[in-house]
Amino acid sequence: MKGKLEPSERQRLIEEGKNLKEGLATLEEDLLKLTDELQQEAQGIPNMTHPDVPIGGEDCSVIRKKVGSPPQFGFQIKDHLQLGKELDLFDFDAAAEVSGSKFYYLKNEAVMLEMGLINWTLSEVMKKGFIPLTTPEIVRSSVVEKCGFQPRGANTQVYSIEGSDQCLIGTAEIPVGGIHMDSILAESLLPLKYAAFSHCFRTEAGAAGAATRGLYRVHQFSKVEMFVLCRPEESDLYHEELIKIEEDLFSSLGLHYKTLDMASGDLGAPAYRKFDVEAWMPGLERFGEISSASNCTDYQSRRLGIRYRPSEPSSASPKKGKANLAPPRFVHTLNATACAVPRMIVCLLENYQQEDGSVTIPEPLRPFMGGLEIIAPKSR
Amino acid sequence: MSNLQKEVERLRGERNVVANKMKGKLEPSERQRLIEEGKNLKEGLATLEEDLLKLTDELQQEAQGIPNMTHPDVPIGGEDCSVIRKKVGSPPQFGFQIKDHLQLGKELDLFDFDAAAEVSGSKFYYLKNEAVMLEMGLINWTLSEVMKKGFIPLTTPEIVRSSVVEKCGFQPRGANTQVYSIEGSDQCLIGTAEIPVGGIHMDSILAESLLPLKYAAFSHCFRTEAGAAGAATRGLYRVHQFSKVEMFVLCRPEESDLYHEELIKIEEDLFSSLGLHYKTLDMASGDLGAPAYRKFDVEAWMPGLERFGEISSASNCTDYQSRRLGIRYRPSEPSSASPKKGKANLAPPRFVHTLNATACAVPRMIVCLLENYQQEDGSVTIPEPLRPFMGGLEIIAPKSR
Repeated sequence: MKGKLEPSERQRLIEEGKNLKEGLATLEEDLLKLTDELQQEAQGIPNMTHPDVPIGGEDCSVIRKKVGSPPQFGFQIKDHLQLGKELDLFDFDAAAEVSGSKFYYLKNEAVMLEMGLINWTLSEVMKKGFIPLTTPEIVRSSVVEKCGFQPRGANTQVYSIEGSDQCLIGTAEIPVGGIHMDSILAESLLPLKYAAFSHCFRTEAGAAGAATRGLYRVHQFSKVEMFVLCRPEESDLYHEELIKIEEDLFSSLGLHYKTLDMASGDLGAPAYRKFDVEAWMPGLERFGEISSASNCTDYQSRRLGIRYRPSEPSSASPKKGKANLAPPRFVHTLNATACAVPRMIVCLLENYQQEDGSVTIPEPLRPFMGGLEIIAPKSR
Repeated sequence: MSNLQKEVERLRGERNVVANKMKGKLEPSERQRLIEEGKNLKEGLATLEEDLLKLTDELQQEAQGIPNMTHPDVPIGGEDCSVIRKKVGSPPQFGFQIKDHLQLGKELDLFDFDAAAEVSGSKFYYLKNEAVMLEMGLINWTLSEVMKKGFIPLTTPEIVRSSVVEKCGFQPRGANTQVYSIEGSDQCLIGTAEIPVGGIHMDSILAESLLPLKYAAFSHCFRTEAGAAGAATRGLYRVHQFSKVEMFVLCRPEESDLYHEELIKIEEDLFSSLGLHYKTLDMASGDLGAPAYRKFDVEAWMPGLERFGEISSASNCTDYQSRRLGIRYRPSEPSSASPKKGKANLAPPRFVHTLNATACAVPRMIVCLLENYQQEDGSVTIPEPLRPFMGGLEIIAPKSR
């Protein structure tokens, strides 16, 4: 149309242009819609699965390791709720009035136990080279999604803030995953090992039944979470390192536990492989999950945009300079619970109860609790 | 409104009279007349009852808006009328160019505001490395110190029903509210542990022997900081989320002035132990807010800000919160007015008085410690009392890279 044209030719072109434009608008709209749908579908695809993972439902999980044995009591034992009531350690009733069910106050020695557990755990994992962190507990919902959770799904575990795109975190994995969002890290920085202490908030929508009594399932709790960013070739190695750290922590506290290689049906979207630790809880008369260690390979890093630049130049080209650097690759991310405080309190109270109603504090925690050795019944 | 109430009662009375008349044996025309009269009364009554309900609500709202009384010694006026009660220490003298806490934090790799801005928004932060140990050290030391003074340690829910927030004297849904609300529920995030602790004994009558009840609660606190702007918002000085140890006392009315003095003394002892230079202010009436009868603020010298900054606040709320929360106690001496024995002799329950005071607001303490204890070589010395609670750490030193 830029050239010199006969009027009738111009008119014909104008009409043709108009038709093309309308047709294009419709197609572009369809393309955008399909691109969105494709993105949604793609986001729905879970991670790959490690070849050694047992295939099947929860009952197909395989025991990797079993440590200790159930303590033998020569007397009628109590569950943590009864111990807590008698030793004036928590208050669920007042919390139900103030906040709702599955909330609680910790009191007296239980507060020292929480602080002792957190401080001891942080101290132990720092010795292993983990960088201690505290994190925001309010995050943008987009970050929650990129980590593989669904903030606005039905039965979501995520609390949302009214009038904003923000949510409360259910685990420090989320804000820690977000630290290096949309970045390219120098290879020399890897592995990056963080130990993050935060409060965690979960709606527990859809959770019902006996396994919700007392501290076993609550809406708010303290947790120390380990998070590792590493090169892809090393993630299996760091998965083994993380589960070893967890097992050492629980063995130090004298717990009886088993480590499970979780079956494929239990992995959830982000995990390539997941090891759960279940500890013996005498009051519940069964094993209860106290920690989980997942290798998410590049599932989260692809969504969060976390890459690293390998330092060796590509040998394919003889040219020197920037063109020789290998292209950035996605890191692998792993996360593992170092200490989930309420479940640990359940374990410690139930396993270390004495006939006179007191509870003994495991040795490693005592220096972090001002030397306290026993939680004794209080004279009234 | 009392006129309305009387009218309503009068009409109710008439309606009952008509209803009673209808029970007897009547001529059909008489019955019909009474039925119509009853119907008119019912309609008129319905309208009036609706008005009464509306007025009762309005009265409740107005009443809730009335702030607490004010202690006679409180200076009258705006913030600049506050009176200095006590001044401790003096500004440290530095022989070198000093840095503010943000610069110190950056150089010592102690916090990250930039990553937090991406992940969460402005005024959020990660603490890293020794700053985490400093937070844990401050909390553990503070709890240990106040427990020695008889305070019961607590951790609290950080999600509470909005009705509890209101009863403590805050307005969760006002314009420029400080309160975050949870979507799809009547719950909010707490801005201070004062709220969940105040709620523990809601709608209760306590035995007098339990008083005073002294709690030291550790919690995270969440504030929208809506309407806060300006230079006093840099770095850790004004943030959306922080850790705090809060003291909360429930006592007999005659004793609240006494416990107010005890609380401020505890705070001053804590800050003196850390070697801070600070002043305690008796806040002027214009600065009290609705619940406080009297309020003492402590402001510490922050060299990087080149001014004093508030690090704690101790309020005597007398019965403002306890009336709304329904917290009463039963005095143990029987009333001497009646010679009869037994339950009728017990004095009627009275409202307790409540007080709250900040034992440790972690980010502001971190600002103070970093800025006051910085050394020429860029390191920061840890005050002695905190060292046993930080694994013996004495210095935060620059890291070799």
